[in-house]
Amino acid sequence: MLDIVLRDAMTYSSLLILLSTGLTLMYITTKVPNFAHGALATIGGYMTLTGTKLFKLNPYMCLPFASIVGAIGSLSLYLCVLRPLMKRGASFVALMASTIGFEMIALALINIYADYLSRVHKIFSREFLLRGLDFKFMDEPGIFIVSCVTMLIIVLTLYLFLTRTKFGIAMRAAIENPSLAGVVGINVNHVYTVSWTIAGLLAGFSGGLLSMFAIGTPLMGSNLLPSMFAASVVGGYSNIYGAMLGGALIGLSEIYGISALAYQFGGEIIAYRPIIPLFVMSVTLLLAPTGLTGINWASIKKVLRGKRG
Amino acid sequence: MEGGLLILVEDLLTMFAIYLIITLSLNLENGYAGIPNFGKVLAVAGGAFVAGSFPGRLMAYLMGFDTGIGYVNDNSRIVTLITRALEGNLLPSIALFFITIGVAAAVGAALGLLASYPAIRLREDYLAMTLLAMGEGIRIIGQNFYPLVGGTVGIDVPDPFAYFEDLRYITVMFVFLAIALLVMYYSEHLVRSPLGRVLRAMRDDEVAASSLGKNVVHLRMKVLAVGSALGAIGGALYAFYTCNCRAAAYHRFDWTFWPWVAMMLGGASNNVGVALGVLVFLATRYSITLLKVQLAPFVPFDVVWLDSLLFGMALILILMFKPEGLLREKPTHTISRKKIETRMKDISGNREANK
Repeated sequence: MLDIVLRDAMTYSSLLILLSTGLTLMYITTKVPNFAHGALATIGGYMTLTGTKLFKLNPYMCLPFASIVGAIGSLSLYLCVLRPLMKRGASFVALMASTIGFEMIALALINIYADYLSRVHKIFSREFLLRGLDFKFMDEPGIFIVSCVTMLIIVLTLYLFLTRTKFGIAMRAAIENPSLAGVVGINVNHVYTVSWTIAGLLAGFSGGLLSMFAIGTPLMGSNLLPSMFAASVVGGYSNIYGAMLGGALIGLSEIYGISALAYQFGGEIIAYRPIIPLFVMSVTLLLAPTGLTGINWASIKKVLRGKRG
Repeated sequence: MEGGLLILVEDLLTMFAIYLIITLSLNLENGYAGIPNFGKVLAVAGGAFVAGSFPGRLMAYLMGFDTGIGYVNDNSRIVTLITRALEGNLLPSIALFFITIGVAAAVGAALGLLASYPAIRLREDYLAMTLLAMGEGIRIIGQNFYPLVGGTVGIDVPDPFAYFEDLRYITVMFVFLAIALLVMYYSEHLVRSPLGRVLRAMRDDEVAASSLGKNVVHLRMKVLAVGSALGAIGGALYAFYTCNCRAAAYHRFDWTFWPWVAMMLGGASNNVGVALGVLVFLATRYSITLLKVQLAPFVPFDVVWLDSLLFGMALILILMFKPEGLLREKPTHTISRKKIETRMKDISGNREANK
């Protein structure tokens, strides 16, 4: 049996890594921070609830379904809202505002769906916990093993996809320089659609896992939005590997930070956990706004060596 | 029925005044200065928390009650006593109201500066993310820090309008509308001043503005301080109107998103358009509320969510098909030639006389 704090920290970090990787993937393609990313995760969570309670499935069997619905949500945001707006030459602020508008629509639909579940099918849908359906493997809860293992697999697959496949390399080219990529025959729109699909799949998938880890509410994803932004910013908001690093850092510091503070000041402080990512994000923005992957480590090393010499 | 309609109109106009103040401040930040403030709720909640925690404690101190944790624990009894004491005294009521508004504005400005400070030098998207995240943070503090506004339970706010008894709501409406009008007058003057022109220059081309020697960071800070102070006034007024302050009520949907919809609907960077937008937005919401009651038995969900659904769609459709809103931005009036000539004559005449 592992230490409970370590287990929670690793599970939460894995989920945050998946979420912030998706968020960064959306950002580096369209250059818009997607304020609706949390709502996409919530959709995944509600799909898992439907699968387990309505169709009596194993929660992990619902994950593909949750991912697909998340991808549908993310694609409808990109294809029906962002791309037409970009074609019309909408301002940057207008694009950001439109993702918030989309979040409102998504949350309204989630709430309507939650009401439908509770009134028609008599399923608790406002505050639900699916932990009871989890399996145990060597005395460890399944969610811990599944989220860590799938996170590693996904990160590795994504890395291989971006560096070893033709499409992945084309995708990186289109991200780096869209017009030049277009000149050499890469369909940039197609590439962007694929990256939004991947990001949506990741969001739905991690939302599905989240419903096994924490109490599910219609706001469970949106409430994580500051943590996701913090993870992406800490990692460096233009680097997909940075998002993975940032997710791990924010996840660990949130859980370990709050347990250390609770040990010091008592359990009442646990409710303030969401303040930690805000703090880490502020410090990062003040000291190194380009994030961890944006810091020029070589020059820092040089300065340190110079001081010693 | 007649009485019901009167109450509805009175409530609509009071909320119009509150939302107008908040949306005008947002328009100042986003419409004129180009700062995408997705954390408007921060200032509004700050102002409301001041109204929830400050005037009651001030009165409790003056009347010799407990101002510490006892004030929150025994809140409804103490506030009822305070309101009863205010009932007969007009001048202290007015003083309490305006002192609170002043403190709320100061706290709001400080919060705006503090929250934006980490990202004030960075690109707009970082600033937008930081402000949004900070707006979430203040709700978490309000909900959990019990001595501030009673945590999840909430807190009662003493009523400075208790003097007017039966006419309380009508008085509140007129006072709030007057304050909103003042804010409108102020922001209209601000955007017509040289500072307003600099702000628009910054919005349209930051690099050009800074190459002409304008300090973009200082300007952003100035605008966020003023905008957040105004937003906090709106929040304090709302707390005084409802005589209650509950942290959970200050969610970004109600106090960031609705002002954004109203602003985009009316027309960003046009104050008259914003006023029109707020009115249309609130009138639509209130009529939906009336319709919803009739719709409720036929649908298997809470009709409240139709609001978010409709206005989310409305925002996207506005951004797509009418991004300038109902009224588009107009060139500001400068002083007419005639006025300049008479002014110059005055000055030269004065010089002649001085000789």
